[in-house]
Amino acid sequence: MDPCIVCGTEIDLDAARSTTGQTTHGADEVDPNAGTRSFYNGEWYYFCGLQCRNNFLAAPANYVS
Amino acid sequence: MDFAYTTEQENLRQEVQAFISENVTEEIRTEIEQFGSRQNRGSLTSGLYKKISDMGWIGISWPKEYGGQGGSRIDQYIVEEEFSRIGVQVGGAGSGAPAILAAGTEEQKKYFLPGMISGDISFALGFTEPQGGADLAGLQCRAVRDGDDFVINGQKMYTTAAHYATHVYLMARTDPDAPKHKGISIFLIPMDTPGITVRPLWTIQNEPKAPHKTTYGDDRTNETFFENVRIPASAMLGEENQGWYVGAMGLNLDRVGASRYLLSVRRDEDIINWTKENSLGNYQLTDDPSVTDRLADLWIDGQVCRLMTLRSMSMVERGETFTYEGSAEKIWAPEHGVRTTESVSQMLGLYGQLLNGSEDNIEDGVFAHNLMGAFQSGINHGSVQVMKDQVSRRGLGLPRG
Repeated sequence: MDPCIVCGTEIDLDAARSTTGQTTHGADEVDPNAGTRSFYNGEWYYFCGLQCRNNFLAAPANYVS
Repeated sequence: MDFAYTTEQENLRQEVQAFISENVTEEIRTEIEQFGSRQNRGSLTSGLYKKISDMGWIGISWPKEYGGQGGSRIDQYIVEEEFSRIGVQVGGAGSGAPAILAAGTEEQKKYFLPGMISGDISFALGFTEPQGGADLAGLQCRAVRDGDDFVINGQKMYTTAAHYATHVYLMARTDPDAPKHKGISIFLIPMDTPGITVRPLWTIQNEPKAPHKTTYGDDRTNETFFENVRIPASAMLGEENQGWYVGAMGLNLDRVGASRYLLSVRRDEDIINWTKENSLGNYQLTDDPSVTDRLADLWIDGQVCRLMTLRSMSMVERGETFTYEGSAEKIWAPEHGVRTTESVSQMLGLYGQLLNGSEDNIEDGVFAHNLMGAFQSGINHGSVQVMKDQVSRRGLGLPRG
């Protein structure tokens, strides 16, 4: 478990990453309820949901140096 | 100047209509209802698409060496128009095909275009990113060269077809030090490449589900992640760092098509037909001049875009310089959609705002779902505001806003 970088809510990263199925043509699908992530300045950051990610992307300097 | 169709074009229209009468069974219509009109087809509709393809009616205007017929855009438009009426899209809107035709290698054209015609290949568009909005050039998704490969890391939002497309048409930054428009490249990537992950995003049309006839009624879009996705350099479309120009040109050509206009016409025809055949209790809408006047306004408005669409197609067919015309259509169609759906909402009152599944709704709530869907069409595939900027600069010669 890791905290959401914006609100601190614990995120189960294994659940966020784990595949729940495949698309019709073979891409992995993930559970939309298990959080989301963003690629910023060469790093992946995980969030509890879209709202926290939006807050992060609006002002990333507030959360990472 | 003659706006009439030629005898050959009228014959083609009749041929398509006869084909539809003969081949589109009640079972297929039911399946279209179930799956919707996009490329996410059931088996019967896939079979129908194959038959349409075998008739040579997909990609009519594409060159023969890539599976097309070398025919005219107007012929293609006629076919699109007839199939649109039964909810089947055959136009390849948003397919990426114009960019592949213009910038692809011979190998890419020979691989992708016949596959798109047969229905075996389809693309999800990987352009928008969560932080970028309409500022497409601000994209952060990176593609880093590693020998003969590129390694991609990043994410895309609103990759609507990602859960059923075979490939993604991806814009990524290949030179982070260049000005933002100049360090971008485009890649054509199979969806089953390791490292691609799709996360569903359920739309406002998901709960309750929009009925089939809803325009812009997709209940699902996606965000798609690319984590150390390794692809060969041969997957690049066009030259390295020229992706902005390839993509912009492809999007502009992609807007030359009937799909948006035809969706608008379907919305207009649906409400016109409904008012002819129905009433709200004792209130007969067609007895009300304010309703009939508004319907006439909408129909006239629709004819404007029809002529704009046909003009654009004629220009492309004649090889004329094509800069802002597709943008003008992309402004008209969504704004007309909003005018139509708002007008319908006023005509039908509160009953017209009841969604699918609600007691006393009208036509499974299609008019209410259309109202909800109309607004996003002004954002996707280039926002109305960006399109207006292109028309003012490229069409009217005005300075950048």
